[in-house]
Amino acid sequence: MHILLTSAASPLSQSLVDQLAPAYSLRLTERQMMKSEHEFVLADLGHDASTNLLVRGMDAVIHVDTMPTETDTGAQIDQSSRCTYNLLMAAAGEGVKRVVYISTLELMAAYDGYLYDTRWRPQPTTAPSTLTKFLGESTCKEFAREGKVAVTVLRLAAEASPESIVGAIADALTDEQPVWQIVHVE
Amino acid sequence: MNVLILGGVGMLGPYVARHLAPHHNLRITDVTPPADPLPGEFRLVDAGNREQVLAAAEGMDAIINLSVLRQDRKIAFDVNTLGCYHMMEAAVTHGIRRVINTGPHFTLAGRSYEAFDYDIGPDIPPQPGTNLYALSKSLGHQISRIYAEQHDIFVQMYLFYNFRDPADVPPGSRHAPFSISWENAAEVFSLGLEIPFEKLPSRCEVFNVFTDMPHGKFSNEKAKRILGFQPRNDIAGLWTKGTG
Repeated sequence: MHILLTSAASPLSQSLVDQLAPAYSLRLTERQMMKSEHEFVLADLGHDASTNLLVRGMDAVIHVDTMPTETDTGAQIDQSSRCTYNLLMAAAGEGVKRVVYISTLELMAAYDGYLYDTRWRPQPTTAPSTLTKFLGESTCKEFAREGKVAVTVLRLAAEASPESIVGAIADALTDEQPVWQIVHVE
Repeated sequence: MNVLILGGVGMLGPYVARHLAPHHNLRITDVTPPADPLPGEFRLVDAGNREQVLAAAEGMDAIINLSVLRQDRKIAFDVNTLGCYHMMEAAVTHGIRRVINTGPHFTLAGRSYEAFDYDIGPDIPPQPGTNLYALSKSLGHQISRIYAEQHDIFVQMYLFYNFRDPADVPPGSRHAPFSISWENAAEVFSLGLEIPFEKLPSRCEVFNVFTDMPHGKFSNEKAKRILGFQPRNDIAGLWTKGTG
């Protein structure tokens, strides 16, 4: 299975690469050049043919959608909204079947003390860490709603291990998944 | 009241400015100057530029956001999504408690509603779909809502669909079942500036703004009930059979 992994230089993506590599053919992408033993494509997820080329031939996209925390909030919002839109529009156009969007369980932090699950309404704040992920989820949801591409949102707990994340990704990449689902990875 | 209007030189802006000018001090902004003079002060401001929006909001009591971009993906997200973020940051920075945002009907009611349902009100979960204009505006609206939930700011979101000139309403011509004259649309903004906060059910309220229509596709009941919006009977020629 051919997988595109975004935000490849992020600590999360770096922690996932070694565990995904034995099972999947990986293409990594990032806004800046980086060294990797895997196929790497420099891309800013713009509205141009390069984003189509980026996803062409892929069976799935794992959209980590992460920028360094010191990045300007506006740039982070831009990445989670516009760049996610461009990526999924290209994926839909190129026949990619599935997108895994990496989100955060911080969206449910307001329910601390409750036995919440994925049916509960997310409660983003104006903190970039939840605001941007909520915008990314909202963008992905519309593509799933229209059946353009199937999306699994993985909301990761801060303490989620790479093994549990990779397990959730593997589950999300199987054929039996619905067109839209949210999974909490504790 | 000192009122900042973002995107005030567009299609609706001049109507809003002329309607509000007798009662408010206006600071009108846009990326291009008006072709014809508008009341109040004018500044060149790009809603996609955080510093420009923050500077323009200084000293204001309310912000009206009429900025819109429909086609180019980069600019659409810059204006429709980031523009709302900049507006809300400006409201927080300057302690502005009254914000009126605007957008198209499919900010909330995309095709998944419009193609199937009737009596579509403004209090529905957003389903903008993947249309660039709808989705980028919807994300901007979500940002405004989240800021209103987190700060002492009251956001009113006015949704429009189809604007008409009462002098040009040929019977039977195609129109959206969510139409209003430009002049009637402008009137809702003075209501939004005047309504006491305690009369708004929450810090983020959405209103469908269109005239009374027999179609039953959408509902403007909430705008009439809460804002006191008074639809004009000035474009009914579009859907009324002639008597001749």
